[in-house]
Amino acid sequence: MSKIALIVASEKTDKLFPAVTLATTAAISGWEAEMFFTFWGLLALKKGFEPTGVSLDYKAYEGKLSEAFASGSIPSWKTVLEQGRATGRIKIYACSTSLGMFDLKEEDLESFVDSIAGAATFLSKAKGSDVSLFIS
Amino acid sequence: MNADITVDAKFTSCPGPLIDLANAVAKAQPGQVVKLLSTDPAAPSDVKEWASAVGHTVLATEKSADVFEIYVEVSG
Repeated sequence: MSKIALIVASEKTDKLFPAVTLATTAAISGWEAEMFFTFWGLLALKKGFEPTGVSLDYKAYEGKLSEAFASGSIPSWKTVLEQGRATGRIKIYACSTSLGMFDLKEEDLESFVDSIAGAATFLSKAKGSDVSLFIS
Repeated sequence: MNADITVDAKFTSCPGPLIDLANAVAKAQPGQVVKLLSTDPAAPSDVKEWASAVGHTVLATEKSADVFEIYVEVSG
């Protein structure tokens, strides 16, 4: 089975959306997808989190993106993720160090988080991936 | 070409059309033909790659006005 490993280090819409698009497309194509949320990316796993915008460098395009979401031409990142997770082939790991950095506990995270992991655990899950990306 | 099921994913872009198609195919019976309507220029190539990865067959891809009609036969 093919596999994609994604490290997500930002909670901004323009980073989350491509990350879950690749993971979900992989999952519905029969691949496994391993996603490690670290640093600011971990914030996206907090219960009730909604992305607040795009990366500062691309602020000028934020309106365009909001329009696309409002019109429904682009689904929300969580909708895309849920579709992929329904296959059972996407695993979500929350970085333990980032959890501590933000003073968060496991119960503060969304139920779709599979487990809290450190680098060694994620490396072992990601080992042998056909595609691996760091998104920040 | 006739289809058993039509999925209208016009005016949505990647990964919307493929997700909608995959959901419809998952509910369809083997041998049925699912037609995807999409305005996403990436749809013909994306559907071809996806179908080849999961074992379904793209029977035809047509284009009328700016809408792609992609016919996928569901495998058994």
